[in-house]
Amino acid sequence: MSLLAADIRAFFAAARKELRQQRRYPTLFLGLLFWPVLLPASWVLMGHAYSGNDPQALAAFAERAGSTNVAGFVFVGYAMYMWLSSLLWGSGTALRQEQVRGSLEAVFVTPASRLVPLFGPGVATLIPMAATFVVMGVALWVLFGVVPPLGAVLQAAVVVILGVPALYAIGTLFAATVLRFGEVAPIVQLIRGMFVLACGITFPVAMLPGWAQVWAWLMPPTYIVEDLRRVLLQGAGLAEVAPHVAIVLTIAMLTALLAIAVFRFLETSARRSGMLSRF
Amino acid sequence: MTVAAVETKDLVKVFERGRRTIWQRIRREPDKRDRFRAVDGIDLVVEPGEIFGLLGPNGAGKTTTMKMLATLLIPTSGTIRVLGIDPLTRPREVRARLGAMLSGERSLYWKLTGRENLEYFAALYHVPPGETKARIANVLAAVKLADRADDYVERYSTGMRQRLALARALLPNPPLVVLDEPTVGLDPQASRDLRDRVRELKAQGRTVLLTTHYMEEADQLCDRVAIIDHGRIVALDTPAALKRTIRAEEVVHLEIALDGDERPVIDRLARSATVARSERSNGTLAVTAHCASARDFVPAAFDAARSTGATIRHVEVVPVTLEDVFLAVTGRALRE
Amino acid sequence: MGDIRAALAVARKDIRSFSRYRIAVAGTVFTPLYQFVIPAFLFGAAFAVNGRQPGLSATLGTEDLPGFIFLGGLVGGLIAIAFWGIAFSLRSEMDMGTLEPSWLTPTRHETFIIGRALGGMFWFVLSQTVLFAFGIWFLGLRLRPEMLIALPAVGLAILAMVGIAYLLAAVVLIIREANFFVDTMQFVVGTMSGTAFPVTLLPGVLQPIAFALPTTYAIDILRSQALGSRPLFDTGLEYLVLVILTGLTYPLGRWAFARAELTMRRRGMLAQY
Ligand SMILES: Nc1ncnc2c1ncn2[C@@H]1O[C@H](COP(=O)(O)OP(=O)(O)OP(=O)(O)O)[C@@H](O)[C@H]1O
Ligand SMILES: [Mg+2]
Repeated sequence: MSLLAADIRAFFAAARKELRQQRRYPTLFLGLLFWPVLLPASWVLMGHAYSGNDPQALAAFAERAGSTNVAGFVFVGYAMYMWLSSLLWGSGTALRQEQVRGSLEAVFVTPASRLVPLFGPGVATLIPMAATFVVMGVALWVLFGVVPPLGAVLQAAVVVILGVPALYAIGTLFAATVLRFGEVAPIVQLIRGMFVLACGITFPVAMLPGWAQVWAWLMPPTYIVEDLRRVLLQGAGLAEVAPHVAIVLTIAMLTALLAIAVFRFLETSARRSGMLSRF
Repeated sequence: MTVAAVETKDLVKVFERGRRTIWQRIRREPDKRDRFRAVDGIDLVVEPGEIFGLLGPNGAGKTTTMKMLATLLIPTSGTIRVLGIDPLTRPREVRARLGAMLSGERSLYWKLTGRENLEYFAALYHVPPGETKARIANVLAAVKLADRADDYVERYSTGMRQRLALARALLPNPPLVVLDEPTVGLDPQASRDLRDRVRELKAQGRTVLLTTHYMEEADQLCDRVAIIDHGRIVALDTPAALKRTIRAEEVVHLEIALDGDERPVIDRLARSATVARSERSNGTLAVTAHCASARDFVPAAFDAARSTGATIRHVEVVPVTLEDVFLAVTGRALRE
Repeated sequence: MGDIRAALAVARKDIRSFSRYRIAVAGTVFTPLYQFVIPAFLFGAAFAVNGRQPGLSATLGTEDLPGFIFLGGLVGGLIAIAFWGIAFSLRSEMDMGTLEPSWLTPTRHETFIIGRALGGMFWFVLSQTVLFAFGIWFLGLRLRPEMLIALPAVGLAILAMVGIAYLLAAVVLIIREANFFVDTMQFVVGTMSGTAFPVTLLPGVLQPIAFALPTTYAIDILRSQALGSRPLFDTGLEYLVLVILTGLTYPLGRWAFARAELTMRRRGMLAQY
């Protein structure tokens, strides 16, 4: 059997193992219902407080955010937040745990590619994420009566799928770097905070000072969120967001290569110093 | 008349295994949880100034008993007096007079230094501020940790952490000290060291109640020992008196190779000694026998083996230990 | 007397051991900043028309967006102290194994709550000072003398949070998924008190819960006194309700805490790991 086929199987085995472990934590699933609904709902109400249903205020918002649909705006932003959050947590903690428990060493002595433990866990987050998106869509409809047209939803799905490699690469780069630092939680907080501030999660990117906007447009999530909002809330077609998709895919490639490079570097230096379990 | 350091009458603790869901409670479903008698009627009197040991296998109920004395657990029934005080009605008075070391090294703040740990607990024990410094110096000296007091606890060895936990128990200058498995997880050197500390406690006039599942420890350290099993006291006396109850001078361990039924061999052996335990695994039979004199018994054992077609592979003669007492009263080995 | 010193020792120990985790200390300021303050400010500013806030003014009767956010954040910080600093930290001591020896000392068990509350206040004052400084520096937050009139409401809110912390501690020591409970309930209580938006915007079914929380009144008094926003009720009445609710949480909380302790002593849950 070819080495590649074996690696692909190992890869899915790693993903399945992650999913199994997730199932052991029931509150993780409760959280999957709780946070994606209540967090954005509370921000929508904040938006209502700030707009006061004042036509002038709403017009000002639309000028900066592209639409007067505050609920839709916030929910799309939070969908990205949830996605980032679970990716950072999922892949960061998974790889780190393997390292601490010593099972990373166990994987490295198998003939499977060493990139399997690096990329495997990220796949496991895909299924819960899809569920989260559905939950959020339903909440948006039930709580705020916002229902984008079906065509727009399908196009948004395409944007999401095209965005997967980029987010995936971010999670992987993060996981690889985490190996170097040990503590995961504070770094997740830090990185997630950076994304929240830069990528237009709960407020339009246009609100950022100029220098910060430059950074924002270097991050794939900024594009994906923007495209989703345009497709879902402003009736844009896929053709209009295509240039963004191209940019996102390019950044994704570069990020993935960087992640592999970082991981390789850490791995070889660990093999030299014999400190795989600690790096 | 002096008050006993600890006195319990018919002490019982029943645990419920598992939990009732709120749903079951709302629907008033019958309670189907397993009830488990961890302590099942213990009567104890610990005299002032003695070292008293509770000896028993895992799950015997030693820790549960200790926790009831230390006010951490409420007994299901029975009475307790600690230094004449009822821990149920006056728990804080008991805690003020009791030095307890229940779960050793885990119970310290690893991010604080040894001294900071003690300063903190001194305040919790209501040691007057003027005395705190001297008291801490005292207990540190008592456990021989004075030179490492300003290191973080995370840099201590297990034995040092255990000693620091003991020092903490001594902070209130307690007349009664209870120690739950004080030497568990320590290497022989560190255990011996800790046992010396315990003897010093007695020399200072304190009463010590400790649990252990090492019989050598109970034998060497304790003035009196209660052997407990399945939540009951099965024997209680001084180690010497307990060993006398077996009415044997020596214990012989035999390893016998045989093919057929083991009963004939055991019957033959039983004619010249008490067979306390026998265990068969495949072709080997392990026998523990109590006898008056190994000189007489061992030749008889060889005869017995030969006449039943078995061969003795290994003979070991040892003096009587508390292990044998436990074996004699429960029919099981202490460690299995 | 011994218990007062014990409470101070608990506070000191908490401050000391927490300050040895530098990242966590930074987190007490950084997390509210990125999770709430900055995004909320920029979100609110997106509704501004020529530097004015007609929307907020229509909702509340004040245009002071940073004031609105920071005063909400102030009470939100108090709520966080009750949940994480007091209840959850007691629980993590239980999981670590250090609660057992503490409960073997003659110190009253509720002293551990009071001591933690003191330690929590230290971090609260510190982090709020930094946050307010940040607000004044970067977000145009203005301190006004009127804010001083609202101080009694903050004091009452602090007292109420300690009462609530008793209740929380009781729950958190008994249940299995303490982390999840604290995480979600902190959010629910904060939101329902109006830290982020006025409680009048909550769906009708949830409003009774909001009006049962002392923190709701504390926030409202703070905002109306310091920013001149429209109060929910007459301020005098709000003070009265706040005092009554705070007074009620104490006996209720202490009762629940005593019950939890009893349950733990019956079931032997103090050292299960
Ligand atoms: N909180 C509890 N709930 C339910 N069962 C318990 C609880 N604590 C102890 N038990 C059970 O009670 C029995 C006695 O436990 P205990 O800890 O007293 O034993 P022990 O003699 O100290 O044993 P070891 O030598 O292992 O420490 C055990 O079977 C244990 O499983
Ligand atoms: Mg035990």
